[in-house]
Amino acid sequence: MYNTNVRGILIQGNKTYSDVTRDILKPLDDKVPLWWWITVFLATGALLWGVWGVYYTIATGIGVWGLNNNVAWGWAIINFVWWIGIGHAGTAFSIFLLILRQKWRSTINRAAEAMTIFAVMAAGLFPLIHMGRIWDGFFIFPYWNTRGPLWDNFNSPLFWDVTAISTYFMASFVFWYVGMIPDFATIRDRTTSKIKKKVYGFFSFGWLGNARGWLRFETTALLLGGMAAPLVVSVHSIVSMDFSVSVVPGWHTTIFPPYFVIGAIFSGFGMVLTLMIIMRKIYKFQDYVTDNHLDAITRILTFISLIMGTAYLTELFTAWYSGSEYELFTFMKNRVTGDYTFAYWTMLTCNAIIPQLFWFKKVRKNITLVFIISLFINVGMWFERYVIVVTSLSKDFLPATWATYSPTITEISIYVGTLGLFILGVMLFFRFVPTIAIAEVKGILKETSTTKPSEDEK
Amino acid sequence: MKNNSIIGIYKDEDVFLEAIDELLANNIRIYDVFSPFPLHGIWEKLKLKTRMPYATFIYGAIGTASVFAFLYWTSVVNYPLKFGGKPLNTLSFIIIMFVLTIFVGTLFTFLTYFTIEKMYPGKKVKLPEPRTTSDRFAILIEKKPEMDEKELEKITGLLEKTGAIEIKEQEVDY
Repeated sequence: MYNTNVRGILIQGNKTYSDVTRDILKPLDDKVPLWWWITVFLATGALLWGVWGVYYTIATGIGVWGLNNNVAWGWAIINFVWWIGIGHAGTAFSIFLLILRQKWRSTINRAAEAMTIFAVMAAGLFPLIHMGRIWDGFFIFPYWNTRGPLWDNFNSPLFWDVTAISTYFMASFVFWYVGMIPDFATIRDRTTSKIKKKVYGFFSFGWLGNARGWLRFETTALLLGGMAAPLVVSVHSIVSMDFSVSVVPGWHTTIFPPYFVIGAIFSGFGMVLTLMIIMRKIYKFQDYVTDNHLDAITRILTFISLIMGTAYLTELFTAWYSGSEYELFTFMKNRVTGDYTFAYWTMLTCNAIIPQLFWFKKVRKNITLVFIISLFINVGMWFERYVIVVTSLSKDFLPATWATYSPTITEISIYVGTLGLFILGVMLFFRFVPTIAIAEVKGILKETSTTKPSEDEK
Repeated sequence: MKNNSIIGIYKDEDVFLEAIDELLANNIRIYDVFSPFPLHGIWEKLKLKTRMPYATFIYGAIGTASVFAFLYWTSVVNYPLKFGGKPLNTLSFIIIMFVLTIFVGTLFTFLTYFTIEKMYPGKKVKLPEPRTTSDRFAILIEKKPEMDEKELEKITGLLEKTGAIEIKEQEVDY
């Protein structure tokens, strides 16, 4: 069998099987640390501010946002695409690497998938609120009605979005949950606390860990993963069609689906990197999330960053080559130069130029620098969506209707609220769920470390 | 309490896999094995197979067909409404069919998984050895009434010989 040691040792510190269980479950067994309460407090505050924003929007109307006739999609859609993009990493990470049988996925997939769940939750809120009349939200489903019955427009990318995102959420959640069952059983059989035994016993669904159970478990994981892999590609392609199916200059391009999918994976990996660095620092998981893991992620980011750069240049080239003056105006006069220069160049610098620093081993090995660059990627990808949504809408075919857009405090509050929701979700995940897939780590322990895992003293 | 089974407990996966080979070579019927993580060699040894991929394929096929039927019925038969100059039965149905095929496939695959494994929230189980979800591997052999002393001794002897760190007899629900 093909065997190479390109990734180095993936689990350090000569762990035994019981060490792995103990180490990973330590955050769940320990007393709740102060920083956790502080973060939860702040995140809840942010979430409540967002709830206020949503309430105010629904009670008053979409007019409380900074939108106008031209720029009818503002922060809500920017943030929706941004969150969905981040949500892509979890599934991309765990599923593509599962199918490619990459062993280094094992310590990262659980956290990446958790991130997906919370990011998709945050994303899904925006289109829902953007409807304005949220009480009519059920109109998006094709149901037997008294208006004809008049069905949904099945040619509309907005309807495709509804199906894609709900499917994506369901598939990611199921994949995540099924993967956690053996670990919940581990907690159930190990804990001495009665409450924990009850609660984790409830969620472990009566897991046995017998041969047939593992066979079906592995098969199910592979099947769910195999189905979710094309879904990852299709979800963001469909999100991009919300734009590219229109005739708005700067949106109406065929590069959009691959460009969005790659962008999503890029921002998602950026967020995974940010979270993994925080997680391994606070929980001292350096033995599990090793420098080799971070190195692997940064290498992927370097490559994706090159694709991003190519996509940006392709867009400019196509605008020029199309000979359409509207296309050319949007790209050259309203993005590269013009009112939105800052956003455009921030996007380009953060996504295509700064990650190129990862070519240097010195940068890749410096975790602080890696962390800072990962934040730059998150910011850069937000600006990419800002550039796409706002510039194209602000100045279209008719100069008489040109308008500028800036968000109001309500829109900002909703965005901050979703950040709060995401962080709160991640904190609950850190506290109550094994953040690393215990069973999977044990499965690769013998092959990818120097240890003899069964050599424990007990 | 009636002790109806023999359990051999191991702590190393390689020793454990060899032990299974040894037991099978001596024609001893292994009722089940328990491990903290999936051991890929075991399924061939115990001749375990699963037909789940076929089930998933069928769910997917049903999903594609029924979604198309629904789209066709709503857009062409029930309320034919032209817009955008597109034909009533349009190519863009493919997108919805693609996504909802995955939806149906995923949903029913995991429901099937829980059904055939008889798993549900709050199910109570008693493992022969609780540490098998952490750091132990266990072989469970059914102690049948027709087995005589000699045969039982042979099983225990084999378990011991193959490196079991503990051998116990206890009641297990089959």
